[in-house]
Amino acid sequence: MFFHIVLERNMQLHPRHFGRNLRDNIVAKLMKDVEGTCSGRHGFVVAITGIENIGKGLIRDGTGFVSFPVKYQCVVFRPFKGEILEAVVTMVNKMGFFAEAGPVQIFVSNHLIPDDMEFQSGDMPNYTTSDGSVKIQKDSEVRLKIIGTRVDATEIFCIGTIKDDFLGVINDPAAA
Amino acid sequence: MSGEEEENAAELKIGDEFLKAKCLMNCEVALILEHKYEQLQQMSEDPMNQVSQVFEKSLQYVKRFSRYKNPDAVRQVREILSRYQLAEFELCVLGNLCPETVEEAIAMVPSIKTKGRAHDDEAIEKMLNDLSLIKKFE
Repeated sequence: MFFHIVLERNMQLHPRHFGRNLRDNIVAKLMKDVEGTCSGRHGFVVAITGIENIGKGLIRDGTGFVSFPVKYQCVVFRPFKGEILEAVVTMVNKMGFFAEAGPVQIFVSNHLIPDDMEFQSGDMPNYTTSDGSVKIQKDSEVRLKIIGTRVDATEIFCIGTIKDDFLGVINDPAAA
Repeated sequence: MSGEEEENAAELKIGDEFLKAKCLMNCEVALILEHKYEQLQQMSEDPMNQVSQVFEKSLQYVKRFSRYKNPDAVRQVREILSRYQLAEFELCVLGNLCPETVEEAIAMVPSIKTKGRAHDDEAIEKMLNDLSLIKKFE
């Protein structure tokens, strides 16, 4: 799910950036430093949308750098366990398939794909029901439920399932 | 990390910080990101080089999965859903997935049926009807 939240960060700035453009410089550096990063707590920072306030700078002992506490609003993407969302399939193999929902990767193991769907290899590997009416392949759109998340320093990785009511393929590129 | 263990969106356990935060539906994110992208386009020749991969992927994703395209419809969806005493998170899941039946809505957002909340099937059905009307007249 996407959220609009307020975060705070201490920005360290070299004195050469001071002057009338100080504020612009702080904001530019903040965008460069923060946009595109990911933390386990807040998820992926997609875009900064506004600055709430920039506090008084504090000179660091010994270096001359000044740190400014900056409060900013941003759009973040944070997946939750139990959340249901739509995703695009990016890769299919006999272990299951990978899907992407925005910046996050989700793996759906073949144990969590309905039992009536069989893996078919070939140049377009896919999972298909026995009557061939439903097919999951690259670029299919699926609705899935996140059942687990793993967080490391710079990435969030999810495990999903489509073995539940109202989950599964919502749009098949081959059928369209 | 005990907080991490208990996280479960189906029961609306998403941490205080996110529960109080403003949730965004995909269509709203699309409006925000497209606006930002246009601003970047005016400032430089090659805006795709300026943005992070996270931004690019999110923009593609929300464009693909936006149920409502025009800004007025997006505003209406939020307005209508906010009449039903939903949590922000529930509101956005419904707005994103647009369930068609009451059963589907409850499967998508199990927390609307938990004890002590005033959502009977009729109220949910009315809400889904209102939503599909917006889609029809968009």
